[in-house]
Amino acid sequence: MNKKAFFFIITLAISFYSFSNEVLLKNARVHTATELGTLENSDIHIRNGLIYRIGENLSSSSAAVEDLSGKTVSPGLISPNTQLGLVEIGLVPETRDDRSEIYSAGLNIDSAFNPSSTLIPYNLTGGITLALTSPSSSGLFSGLTSAFYLSGSAQESLVKSNIALTANIEGGEDSTAAKILLLEDSLKVASKIVRPTDFELYKSYLPKNISYSTRDIDALKKVVSKEIPLIIKANGASDILALIDFSNRVNINLIILGASEAWRVSEQLSEAKIPVILFPIDNIPSSFNKLGARLDNAYLLNKAGVKVLLGSQETHNSYLSRQGAGIAVSYGLPWNEALKGLTKNIANVFKLGKRGSIQEGYIADLVIWDGDPLEVSSFVEGIYLSGRKQPVENRSMRLKERYLKK
Amino acid sequence: MKKLIFILTLSFFCILKLSSNETAFISTYNPQDSGDIFIKNARILTGNGDEILKGSILISSNKIKAIGKNLLRPKGSKLINAEGKWVTPGIIDIHSHMGVYPAPSLRSSSDGNEATSPVTAHVWAEHSVWTQDPQMPLALKGGVTTFHVLPGSANLIGGRGVTLKNVWSRTVQGMKFPEAPYTLKMACGENPKRVYGNRSTEPSTRMGNVAGYRKAWIRAQSYKNKLEEYESKSNEAKELEYAPTRNLELETLVGVLDGEILIQNHCYRGEEMAVMLDIAKEFNYKVTTFHHAVEAYKIADILAEKEVCAAMWADWWGFKHEAFDMVWENAAIVDQANNGKGCAIIHSDSSVGIQRLNQEAAKAMSAGNRAGLKINRARAIKWITLNPAKALGISNQVGSLEKGKMADIVIWDGDPFSVYTKTEKVFLDGLLIYNKDDPSTPKATDFELGIINSEGKRL
Repeated sequence: MNKKAFFFIITLAISFYSFSNEVLLKNARVHTATELGTLENSDIHIRNGLIYRIGENLSSSSAAVEDLSGKTVSPGLISPNTQLGLVEIGLVPETRDDRSEIYSAGLNIDSAFNPSSTLIPYNLTGGITLALTSPSSSGLFSGLTSAFYLSGSAQESLVKSNIALTANIEGGEDSTAAKILLLEDSLKVASKIVRPTDFELYKSYLPKNISYSTRDIDALKKVVSKEIPLIIKANGASDILALIDFSNRVNINLIILGASEAWRVSEQLSEAKIPVILFPIDNIPSSFNKLGARLDNAYLLNKAGVKVLLGSQETHNSYLSRQGAGIAVSYGLPWNEALKGLTKNIANVFKLGKRGSIQEGYIADLVIWDGDPLEVSSFVEGIYLSGRKQPVENRSMRLKERYLKK
Repeated sequence: MKKLIFILTLSFFCILKLSSNETAFISTYNPQDSGDIFIKNARILTGNGDEILKGSILISSNKIKAIGKNLLRPKGSKLINAEGKWVTPGIIDIHSHMGVYPAPSLRSSSDGNEATSPVTAHVWAEHSVWTQDPQMPLALKGGVTTFHVLPGSANLIGGRGVTLKNVWSRTVQGMKFPEAPYTLKMACGENPKRVYGNRSTEPSTRMGNVAGYRKAWIRAQSYKNKLEEYESKSNEAKELEYAPTRNLELETLVGVLDGEILIQNHCYRGEEMAVMLDIAKEFNYKVTTFHHAVEAYKIADILAEKEVCAAMWADWWGFKHEAFDMVWENAAIVDQANNGKGCAIIHSDSSVGIQRLNQEAAKAMSAGNRAGLKINRARAIKWITLNPAKALGISNQVGSLEKGKMADIVIWDGDPFSVYTKTEKVFLDGLLIYNKDDPSTPKATDFELGIINSEGKRL
């Protein structure tokens, strides 16, 4: 079955299931993650898994009504950089399913994704509805990212497959320069290959210790054709400049991950329209490439017109991207931009369809909060995925219930 | 011969002095006089459970001279109007590796784990501290005025920890918290058994761990007996034999048995903490704090009953199997055990987390309140002030804003239990060493000079 058909069937299945599911959320403070910002005392009418209407004093004879007076609604948060579904316990290799030494660029991890992972309901109840899950192989190429719902459903978790390729240029023995050259050579060779047998003509351009199987070449070709972006982990300002040059030479869509010193080259990033995925909480000068790390990186980049996506470095606590967003706000990032960094910007950059903001016609991935979604003392009280209410329940909550002496 | 013996005996007493650490590595921390400073109109969380609205604090010569609602400002004192601001004691992190695992993270200065033998009670974390670690001023901006540096957890008994004032200094002695007791790092669970098990040496299991601790304490007891036996002899008898040879490892362990050195025990699991408490009973010492106690909530009543603190994260989990059973309410449950007799501490073990222990406490407090426990800010602030001070044996000097204590004080631009709040001013012994309006504070480390800093300048 090809990918499109698979996606279509899933969408159909979700739509069918939620057809009878019509909900009217009443009297909420709604953070739209659009230019409209926050709507007070607003209603959201969900129908067929979509946001059908938004407004005040809406009514419906067919919808189940949920009164959200005093509550806040945001788009479901999207985590831009996780191993959710691939990792259970960080230090226990037998619980990790996120690496390959066989494939490089072409590693697709969809079949390894475990919707029953304990991390999934935990992060869902932290406000993440959709995660971008990437393999984390340590070579030049980590592999392909896919987007998953944190629904826990074995049938309906995959949202979109192979939406980006990730490459590493930091660390290891080889110079960053060598890795950028190799990235360029890899993409150039991939662009020449029409039939698998063509590889024989070009293989001398490439090293032998990295897999360039047909599957890997296909992934690289998707980058060359701009079907998917290339995510490169880099922090140093000069490395980022070198990558901007590189992306201009090879004409690809580039995303910088980490980007601790990106504020120093914010104008160049803005001009090249290169988005960044930041971990706004990380200001440690932990390497000589990160001496300029600072907490207002997100603010400065946003001000320069760079599209900022906010993430968490800890897969287990992917949802803490919202704490990082709050900290970025305290260092100057406008609140609405911070929310977009957790939602809309990610959906846009990775072409996730009508997701990431609360607008009519958009998919009803919504989170209900008891307060400000960026505030550390706020909790999730309700979750809708494609208009379907999800339980706010996880293993940690069950443990608490067992041991809490009332 | 007699003379020689006399000299030997004398030197033994010198050595005894040395071993009780009165001559070597003593603190040289000596702040200049702060003069008089008067902070008024502040919303004060005192650290001892109280909250004062519109309160004032008088600092005089590095100490808190008065705190209360209707204080009179002495003439000549420097006035700070803290209208709309919150004030707390300086934050204390009981679990840090700043200086021993500094930034940048390089193999050449990763000096936190003497992972060459499972019992290294003879090593001292302070001898690894790089005072110019740029993580320290970042922590200061987060309000951290005191931090406790531990050896890592590769070993069953990792060595001595040290409590430091977060002040720029050329020497570690210049940072050492005056008269803070020494501590001893022990580690349960996965780390020691992984490190040594991977080398096919003992310990490779949790039961191997426990045997390792007990063997060490048996040696310590025997050394202690030997020292005491020698001590109990008459001067004449002492002249006739050599004093027991100094043993760095056993001196530290005997310090624990004598109650002078405080055990700081890395331990995640409930059952392992209970086992460690039995080992303490067997050898008659006290565990002061369990660190990283992810499962403390499972044995909160036992910890409260034995007056053992638990130092916890708000929400870290899953990086190891022993960190799998995390609950957000952990600190709150520990705090409320046995009618509020529990000792909960929020710690960082992280140069990122240490910058916002207030937010971590906020998460843990909110989770507890959501679960029906009633914990207010005035109480929760103790988790990062008075409780770690107690667990480090320095609560007579810091941890709360009380008359006579060191004037380690943080002024926040809002509610410290909010993600949006930042520190405005940090006083260390009454000296303003961080002021958000003064870019020359905190003082840059040597490392930062001449290279691009986080503000984009060359210092």
